[in-house]
Amino acid sequence: MRNLFDFLLRFRAWIVFIIYVVLSCILLFSGNPYQRHVYMTSASQVSASVYDVGQSVTGYFHLRSINDDLQRRNAQLESEVIALRSTVNSLRLELSSDSITIAEPLKDFDFILASVINNSITHPHNFITISKGEADGVKPEMGVMDQNGIVGVVDVTGKHYSRIMSLLNPDFRLSCKLKNSDVIGSLVWDGKSPREALLEEIPKQAVYAPGDTIITSGYSAMFPDGIPVATVMSNERTHDDNFFTLRVKLLTDFTKLSTVQLVVSNNRDEIKKLEPNNIK
Amino acid sequence: MTKSILQFILLYIILVMAQVLVFNRLYLFDTALPLVFIYFIMRLPVTMSLVWVLTLSFLLGFTIDVFSDTLGMNALACTLLAPMRLPVLRLYFPREEDLTNPEPSMRSLGVGVYMKFAISISLLYCILFFTIESFTFFNIGKLILRIIGSSILTFIIIMCIDSLINHQRSEKRL
Repeated sequence: MRNLFDFLLRFRAWIVFIIYVVLSCILLFSGNPYQRHVYMTSASQVSASVYDVGQSVTGYFHLRSINDDLQRRNAQLESEVIALRSTVNSLRLELSSDSITIAEPLKDFDFILASVINNSITHPHNFITISKGEADGVKPEMGVMDQNGIVGVVDVTGKHYSRIMSLLNPDFRLSCKLKNSDVIGSLVWDGKSPREALLEEIPKQAVYAPGDTIITSGYSAMFPDGIPVATVMSNERTHDDNFFTLRVKLLTDFTKLSTVQLVVSNNRDEIKKLEPNNIK
Repeated sequence: MTKSILQFILLYIILVMAQVLVFNRLYLFDTALPLVFIYFIMRLPVTMSLVWVLTLSFLLGFTIDVFSDTLGMNALACTLLAPMRLPVLRLYFPREEDLTNPEPSMRSLGVGVYMKFAISISLLYCILFFTIESFTFFNIGKLILRIIGSSILTFIIIMCIDSLINHQRSEKRL
C-alpha cells in the first residue's frame, strides 16, 4: 500500500498529464457536432455575452461596404419588381385576371433577422455565433443567408444565442445548380481560402463558362430555390471519370458578416416527415 | 504571494479576452493566426509544480476552445506544451536558480535568451496546434505555411506584450 502511495506521489505529474490528454482527446473526438452540448460552444450564455460586448464595438467596422452591398441588392430587387410588375400588367391585359398564377418560390418561407456576434474563417471547421436563439424561434438545421448569398446552417441553439455551421465547414454540403443549365452539383468547402469553394459531382456533359452563376437548387428545404451562391472560376482536375469538379468564387464575404437572415421553412416539418433520412 | 496570484488571474482574463475578441479575427494572408494566449503558460513561475502548470494550461486551452468552437484542440495542445516549457528554458538558460525573479520575462532572462525562449515556445505550440487541427484535412504545404506564419506572428506579439508589461512595472518603481 505504502509503495502504491509512493508510486502515485512520485509520478503524480505524469498521471495528471495523462488524465488531461485523455480528457482533451475525448472532447476532440466526440464526433457528431449536432450532439455537442450548447454549454461547450460559443453559443453558451457566458461566451456569447462576451462576444456581444465585442460586437457592440466591431459591429461598426464594415458598415460602409455592407451598406454598398445592400444598396446594390436593393437596386437589383427594385428593377426586378419593376420588370415583374410590367409582365404582370401585360399578362393581365391579355388574360382574365383570375386565371393567372404567378410562381412564388418564396411564399413558403419566412425570415428571421439576426446579428453575427462571432465569426471564424481561420479553422478547418468554422462556426458563426448569432444573437437569436430558441426564444426567437430559431431551430437547428435552419438555413442562414445574408444580402449576398448563403452563409450556413443552424447547428446548436441556446436560449438567446445560436451557433451556425458556416459554409466554410466541410461537414456542410449544399445542393446547388448551374443557373444556365439547371445541372445539379454539391457545394463543399475545401479549406483553401475563405473566398472559394468547390462544386462537386457535376455530370461530364454539363456546359459551363467561367463567370456563370450558381444558385441553390431548393432540394434541401433549408433554402428557397434560386438564391445566388457563387460564380464559376475554373475547372478542377478530379480522378473520377463521370463527374467533374468546379472551383467557384463565393458571393458571401465571410470576412465581413454582420446581419444574417434565417430561413424559416413553413413546410419543413412536412418535408422532413416525408424524407426521414435524406436531410443531412 | 496573493498579489501575484491576483496578477495571474488578471493576466488569464485579459489574454483570453484579447485572443477571442481581437487575435482570433486577425488572419493575415489566409495563413498567419496569432495564438497569443500561450504567453500565460510562458509567464508561469519556474518554481511552480508541474501539476499546477498542467492544470492551468489545460484550463486555459479549454477556455479558448469554448470561445472559438475548436473543442479539445487548444486544450490538448496546451497540455502537451506545459511539460516542454522548462526543458526548453533550460536549453538557453541552464542555471534557473540564478533567476532574480521566478517568472520568465525579458527582464529576468535578458532580451536575447527571452527571444530564443519565446520563438521556440511559439513554434512548438503552432506545430502542436496546427497538426492537431489538420487531422481532418491534410494539406502539407498549407500546414507548414500556417505553422511558420503563425509562429512568427505569435512571437512578435508576445514580445510586444512582454515589453509592455515590463515597461509598466519599471515605471511604477520610479
